[in-house]
Amino acid sequence: MLAAIVRRLRGARTVLRRFTLIPLIVRFGIGVCGLLAMAVAWPASLLSSEYVVPLVVVALWPAFAPRGRSATVAALITVGGWIVDTAGYDSRIALWRVIALAAALYVGHTLTALAAVLPYDAVVNLDVPGLWLGRSLLVVLVSAVLIVLALGLTADLVGDAFQVATLMGLVAATAVTLLLARLARRG
Amino acid sequence: MTETWAPTRALSRSVLLTGLLMLLGVILGRVDLVLLAAPFAIGAAWHLSRRPRAMPEVAITADESHLVEGGEVAAGLTVSNTDLIPYDLVVVRTRTSRWLRLEHADRPFALTVPSDGWAAIDLPGEALRWGRQDVGPAAARAAACGGLLACRPVVTPARGVRVYPTTEPFRATEAMPAAAGLVGAHRSRRLGEGGELAGVRQFAPGDRLRRIDWRVSLRTRDLHVASTLSDRDAEVLLLLDVLGEVGLSGGVRGGSSVLDTTVRAAAAVAEHYLHRGDRVSLLEYGATARRLRAASGRRQYLTVLEWLLDVHADPVDERYEPALGAHHISTSALVVVLTPLLDPRAADMLAQLTQAGRYVVAVDTLPPDEAPPVRNQWTPLATRLWRIERENVLGRLREHGVPVVAWAGAGSLDQVLRDVARMAAAPRGR
Repeated sequence: MLAAIVRRLRGARTVLRRFTLIPLIVRFGIGVCGLLAMAVAWPASLLSSEYVVPLVVVALWPAFAPRGRSATVAALITVGGWIVDTAGYDSRIALWRVIALAAALYVGHTLTALAAVLPYDAVVNLDVPGLWLGRSLLVVLVSAVLIVLALGLTADLVGDAFQVATLMGLVAATAVTLLLARLARRG
Repeated sequence: MTETWAPTRALSRSVLLTGLLMLLGVILGRVDLVLLAAPFAIGAAWHLSRRPRAMPEVAITADESHLVEGGEVAAGLTVSNTDLIPYDLVVVRTRTSRWLRLEHADRPFALTVPSDGWAAIDLPGEALRWGRQDVGPAAARAAACGGLLACRPVVTPARGVRVYPTTEPFRATEAMPAAAGLVGAHRSRRLGEGGELAGVRQFAPGDRLRRIDWRVSLRTRDLHVASTLSDRDAEVLLLLDVLGEVGLSGGVRGGSSVLDTTVRAAAAVAEHYLHRGDRVSLLEYGATARRLRAASGRRQYLTVLEWLLDVHADPVDERYEPALGAHHISTSALVVVLTPLLDPRAADMLAQLTQAGRYVVAVDTLPPDEAPPVRNQWTPLATRLWRIERENVLGRLREHGVPVVAWAGAGSLDQVLRDVARMAAAPRGR
């Protein structure tokens, strides 16, 4: 038992000694995105209570274990918090909150994808994280424009938000189905 | 080729979050939930619009020049992308021989490779020890489509770098005990065509006119010729005891193991005698008994260095004797045996060769401070006993007429070569 602990401690020390700067920054970015998403999604009253500790742990989990299901779990818990806040606590769905949450979730997701394939001790060319982050920010920018337009539509146009959501959801679901079918056919 | 690219967990996460958020958006009638899925859907659609088909190719480049221990190595890795879409990330790892100190070779490298292009990684470093040192095998794994697809690892076999041993300066001014051929660098004891002046004598029928010594002839008013000693060549056989390896090699700047000393000494002795025009052959005293035929010249020197790269410990089961008999060795060859004299069979072999009339010189290659690791309080005593026994073996060999000398570089064989030459001049009869 003691020998196993000593072995693990030695292993951790080796990992810390071999860590290089860019993988460290990538993992730091994952943690920041997770914390930001949790802070935006969950109700402020819960965040100021003792429940903040498990939420912080879940938000930082993908930074330490990017290869597992941690990022998926963290994203689902963040979305759960958003639903609790907007449906349970009747918080207002502000435009900035939707954009911030979508951006934090997506950037966290892409940085986790990068950390999953990037060894912690790698010698990394600077263009790797630069291009990776650039593509993510482009997607975030396009999505932000879409979010602004869509929320503007629901506010300005005549019609029920339920109908707009149904329409957009169906269109998006059809697109995802087509994408999956294409992937399956090629695979 | 698409089966070589597999979806990553990021793609599963993207699809799951997109589907779930849209489903919840439709069920709950919430536009915001659908919009939260937008980046995931847009990102997946954009990245997967074009997918890679070709695998990355990894090539290892290594120095092909004449590289000696302690010299600088220029190795490298090149990753090629023959596909029409770029690789967002390629992680390349390589293994290297512990005797090549290459910069960052113990770490993976992460880089991007453009479409229909390549990227190179330089691995400068230093060669620490002689031998065939490997760079590789190298493995590369690429990720494309924003990390949504990753390929299986591509492995490239290792590439050997030839690192030749350093040759400590060696010279031996003593005559060879027995010269064999007709033409060579050593003066013989016979008169004949050569460059070494033996004396002046009266002209006799058959003498060449260019041999006439005109100064002496004018003074004595009779024709005199300068007589010379004939030039003879010799064969040197380097016999390498490879029955075992003792000692820890520390590379070119560290301590030397038995095989290090053996190989470096063999290279130095071969270089010396080949430079003088002698014929040099090599033979391993081990299980496989590799042999290099006798030859002379610069080409043979390069062949000797190449042959030495493959020297390794080649033990023979204690129940058997290595296949070496005196009949394998020319009677006129000078046999330089490089041995640590740890195996009793090596001492027996030396005695047998001497008894068979071969000119044998034993070079002790055991590191002077070599001792077994201390295991308990009896180890120092056991080591002393072992040293006394070894001294006893050396003494008995000297009694048999086998000169044994520790390798010390330049001039270390002069004394023993002188002894061997003296013995060779003495009348034989056993």
